[in-house]
Amino acid sequence: MTDAKDLAESAASADPSTGLRAALALRRLADSLERLQVANARRQGWAWQEIADALEVSRQAVHKKYAKEM
Amino acid sequence: MFERFTRPARDAVTAAQTHATDLGHDRIGDDHLLLAISSGADSPAARALTEAGVDTAGLRAEIERAHGRLGEEDAEALSSLGIDLDAVRSRVEAVFGDGALDAGKPRRRFGGHIPFTKDAKKVLELALREAIRLDDRTIGTEHILLGILRAGGEGHAALRALGVDAAALRRTLERGEAA
Repeated sequence: MTDAKDLAESAASADPSTGLRAALALRRLADSLERLQVANARRQGWAWQEIADALEVSRQAVHKKYAKEM
Repeated sequence: MFERFTRPARDAVTAAQTHATDLGHDRIGDDHLLLAISSGADSPAARALTEAGVDTAGLRAEIERAHGRLGEEDAEALSSLGIDLDAVRSRVEAVFGDGALDAGKPRRRFGGHIPFTKDAKKVLELALREAIRLDDRTIGTEHILLGILRAGGEGHAALRALGVDAAALRRTLERGEAA
């Protein structure tokens, strides 16, 4: 699947169901990585503001999303 | 309230916690109760689920999917973009430990109890009401399953996603009571 032709075929798939499913999977992966790294940053003593800056979102947004679970 | 629960029903509640923690979830939901009934000892409720076409592995997969865990379908979709999910997972786990990518939240490794979701509590209350309605002195797994069907929460959603006819399943369970 790493071959360039396959990649071009699916990433730029004209079939919405394939393309949308790939976008969903990518979002789930991004969400998982973000949650993991926010927890990591908090364990290392990062302030919510620093995490927000790194993610390019507001402090309120990141705090609201993660404060309860960390 | 638990004193009126049958042994299998108590076991199902205990097993639901194990299923929730095994899946890396931080709450015991009515979907985990459902999984516990499906995978537990033979009971009228477990048989009714089998009869309705529910198999434990498929149910577990559906629960994982509903909780947003990255599953097989995600791995396939990501590989279509040139991303190897297994490679991502093993790199993340090398630093943060097993299951880190899928759990996200730090795992409770030190045997702590996890709370029930609102729906799971509602299901246990509904199980009691179902037992009263059906004139049963004790609360069994069939009453919990009826509660799951009535609550309309995550367990019910999982059954629907698996194509289960909820009304037919309810009738099977109630018929079992009469017999």
